[in-house]
Amino acid sequence: MTTSFVFSQECNLTIDGKIIDIEDNSPLEAAAIEVIGTHLTAVSNANGAFVLRNQCKGKLTLKISHLNCEPVFRELDLDKSSSFTFQLEHKIENLDEVVVSKLRVHELSATSKIHALSELQKDRFSSKGLAGALEQISGVSVLSTGNSIGKPVIHGMLGSRVGVVYDDVMLENQQWGQDHAPNVDLNTFENIRLIKGAGILKYGTTPGGVVILESILPKRVDSLYGKTILSGLYNGRGYSAISNWVKSYKSGAYIKLQGTFKRNGDFTAPNYNLTNTGNKENNFSVLLGKNGLQHKWKAFFSYFDTDIAILKSAHIGNVKDLLRAIESDVPLVIDPLKSDIGYPKQANNHYTANIEYTNTNFANGELHLKYSWQRNNRKEFDIRRGERKNTPSLDMELNTHNLLSNYEWNTRFGDFDSGVFFQVQDNYSNPETEIRRLIPDYLKTKLGSYFTATFDNTKDFIFAFGARYEHHNNEVQKFYRDSRWNLKNYEAPFRKYVVKEEASQKLVKRTLTFNTFSFNAGVRHRVSPSYSLNVNYNHTQRAPNIAEMFSDGLHHSLASIEYGNPFLEKETTHKVVVDFEKKVGDFQFAITPFITIGKNNHIIIEPTGVESTIRGAFPVWEYTTVSALFKGIDLDFSYAFNPNTQFRNTTSWVEATNTKTDLPLVNIPPLTTNNELQFSLPKWKSFFVLLNSKTVFRQNRYPNNNFPQAVVENGQIVTKTVDISTPPNGYHDLGIELNWGPYPLRSSKVSVSLILDNVLDASYRNYLNRLRFYSDEIGRNIRLQIKLYH
Amino acid sequence: MSKNIFKKSVLIAAILFLAACKKDDPKIINEEEEFSRVVITVTNEGDQSSEQYTFEVEGHDHADETESTEDTHEDHLEVELAPNSSYLFEIRFYNDEDPNNPEDVTQEIIDEADDHHVFYELTDGANISIESGTGDTMDSNSNALNLITRWTTTAAGVADVIAYLIHEPSTKTGTTRNDFGGATDVELEFEAHVE
Repeated sequence: MTTSFVFSQECNLTIDGKIIDIEDNSPLEAAAIEVIGTHLTAVSNANGAFVLRNQCKGKLTLKISHLNCEPVFRELDLDKSSSFTFQLEHKIENLDEVVVSKLRVHELSATSKIHALSELQKDRFSSKGLAGALEQISGVSVLSTGNSIGKPVIHGMLGSRVGVVYDDVMLENQQWGQDHAPNVDLNTFENIRLIKGAGILKYGTTPGGVVILESILPKRVDSLYGKTILSGLYNGRGYSAISNWVKSYKSGAYIKLQGTFKRNGDFTAPNYNLTNTGNKENNFSVLLGKNGLQHKWKAFFSYFDTDIAILKSAHIGNVKDLLRAIESDVPLVIDPLKSDIGYPKQANNHYTANIEYTNTNFANGELHLKYSWQRNNRKEFDIRRGERKNTPSLDMELNTHNLLSNYEWNTRFGDFDSGVFFQVQDNYSNPETEIRRLIPDYLKTKLGSYFTATFDNTKDFIFAFGARYEHHNNEVQKFYRDSRWNLKNYEAPFRKYVVKEEASQKLVKRTLTFNTFSFNAGVRHRVSPSYSLNVNYNHTQRAPNIAEMFSDGLHHSLASIEYGNPFLEKETTHKVVVDFEKKVGDFQFAITPFITIGKNNHIIIEPTGVESTIRGAFPVWEYTTVSALFKGIDLDFSYAFNPNTQFRNTTSWVEATNTKTDLPLVNIPPLTTNNELQFSLPKWKSFFVLLNSKTVFRQNRYPNNNFPQAVVENGQIVTKTVDISTPPNGYHDLGIELNWGPYPLRSSKVSVSLILDNVLDASYRNYLNRLRFYSDEIGRNIRLQIKLYH
Repeated sequence: MSKNIFKKSVLIAAILFLAACKKDDPKIINEEEEFSRVVITVTNEGDQSSEQYTFEVEGHDHADETESTEDTHEDHLEVELAPNSSYLFEIRFYNDEDPNNPEDVTQEIIDEADDHHVFYELTDGANISIESGTGDTMDSNSNALNLITRWTTTAAGVADVIAYLIHEPSTKTGTTRNDFGGATDVELEFEAHVE
């Protein structure tokens, strides 16, 4: 028998070698090299070197794993002591397929912890969207509107305070709206990374954090490869196809094509259908370029197009309708399942075109020039009557041009990066909606520069500093209704800006300028090869966005009227984030406490009164400033019971308070803990099971924004409370994922996943879902995913 | 040195951009779909005398009105009715957002009869019965829209009345607002005085 033959051999051979990062050939420390089927494990040292002694002659399999990397398996046939070099790829599972040149922004931040999604984590959400994928990272939650619209929330902040950067450009897509998901397809990019600090000053000033989406540039070889993911899902009767193809040439030229096609019908909650909750997406992108030795060119074009149905029962006319919805346990509209998308709905599309030039040897540094254009169109359709039935209630087009130039250089003192940027942004609200503009027309210009420096000269410490200056010029053209104008006494401050008066409205043309200065300082202390400590301080200044200053309109889903505040000033935020990271044998953990302070000028929206309309009385919400204090902690913990069984826990807690009133802030994620157990059978290594158990506690800290409403009940007028504040109970969500593969299939490889979400078919509501007043979350789902590497 | 050249070229491009982008004045939007005025004409079926009651929203702009966010419950319009009589109530909906071009939106409601319903919700206190009246509009399922209703009074009393225009009601039969579902397009209150 084979085993007895192996055991009869002398086991005195040595395997040694080095683990290097495929991106830049740097040694990787703290990688685990395990001999499958034994308990022999070695850990690479600071030079990436490792030694495994007492190995037997014959065939064996090594599993090489590292924090944030997918493990790599290598089969060896050992007949004498040997040395090997293994390359490990951060975040990419199959290093055979994807060959990578040096990533240009490999050092996003030398002193902050960078969270990267593994390919597996990313593909799991390939048909669900970016925010859901990011939620797998501790400290990240999703503020959703129904089941298909999600915004990432980092350390309690979202919207304009969280940046989404793709292909080095900040995504510009009306991100102020709570019911606006980022208009970007995560499948266009190979790398998804997140920094919870105050972002990277290279890209912008976002105090919550920044999400970075990157394409991996192909190597200078003749090659054709790609990947296709086909998914089908039971709940929603949906399917999707996502495919990308890369053709690269020895000359350094390459082209990458990517497309996403997605269709989902109505979803179901455990006890009822969620009427009008389907969605569809058609995305396409092309990346082409040439990597010369000194000159690099890159051009990128993408088109993103989505239609998202909004839960029918969430379309209400007035506050009494809202009260009725809150008092009812089930949605007030439940129809048979449909696959088409009815009203209300959102229809968004986003175009991007970028062109970039890099000179890798320009005055001993690297010079980049980039022009980028983005066009975002957002349409929201309500339930309307007559000839306006198919006319959107909101139709906004946002055109953004960016021009960036930066220069990176290294000296023996440190690494430096400095850049200048210029942006022009034009927002146009289509008047054919015949609904007054929620956001006025404006023309914004932004001009500025940044500088970052990293000092990595000593053995134990890395220091990093950055600064960014921005000058904003907003030219806003807004119609005010006379009633609002008089109520708010705008006559004195704004009379001089009135350019036209017409039909009880005034057209005001104002130019607002803001100058912001942000800086950060960080240190990373490598206490030992397995223990590091990061401390980062960020001082961020953010100009108020146009919605915060000028929004004006009715929100149907919450039956509230929202007004901007034209007197807002820039918002200054201080944030300190500390990361402790340690590995002790099979234990590995990271603890990330943070504190965020916005003194006096932190912008929030809060209820201020009631406005009577012919539809009834509506609560009015207005933007204002408070002093805010956010504090919290993220925990990441993992333990390998044995090479085939791994346990992972992530826990996030955040608390946010208006320190002027000592009241909690609204929509802050409750305590969440996520446990994940992954195991495989030693003999059957191409199969593994992943159990995921997510517990979300009830949010007990919330402000009371309830208001009274008189209704007729049993022939009497009684006053009831419209409870829009009380959070729902906590919930537990269990998921199971079965993965087979990859198996060879002709010249390709194929792997199959069966994913079960909400296995227990639990009925629950989610505090961070804006439609929680109307329906439960979706029930059990079964997803089948087939992945082809070609 | 060469870095400066790039900075300059960026600046020049910036200026060119600025020169190219000049925004036109935005067009004024009058929300012609919304209702801004509701008129109820009450006709005594006995002597054919009639009276008009006009409801305008407090928050709405009219030349000489100012906005009020106060509870206006106290000064509700009073509709005077005699005991033991019958009246025809005809409700009509208007948009006069653009004062030069006031519109009667009632026809749009009639055109989409299946999607609309008018409902009067009464508190206790008056003996009034309400049914669809002569000349009312029927939808495709022969449900009356209640654009014209007959109010029959008996003994004297006072009741609060809330009139609703409901868009896409889930049913057209019911006795309270809750029974009808749908979204409320118009909600207005008055007092019915039977005396």
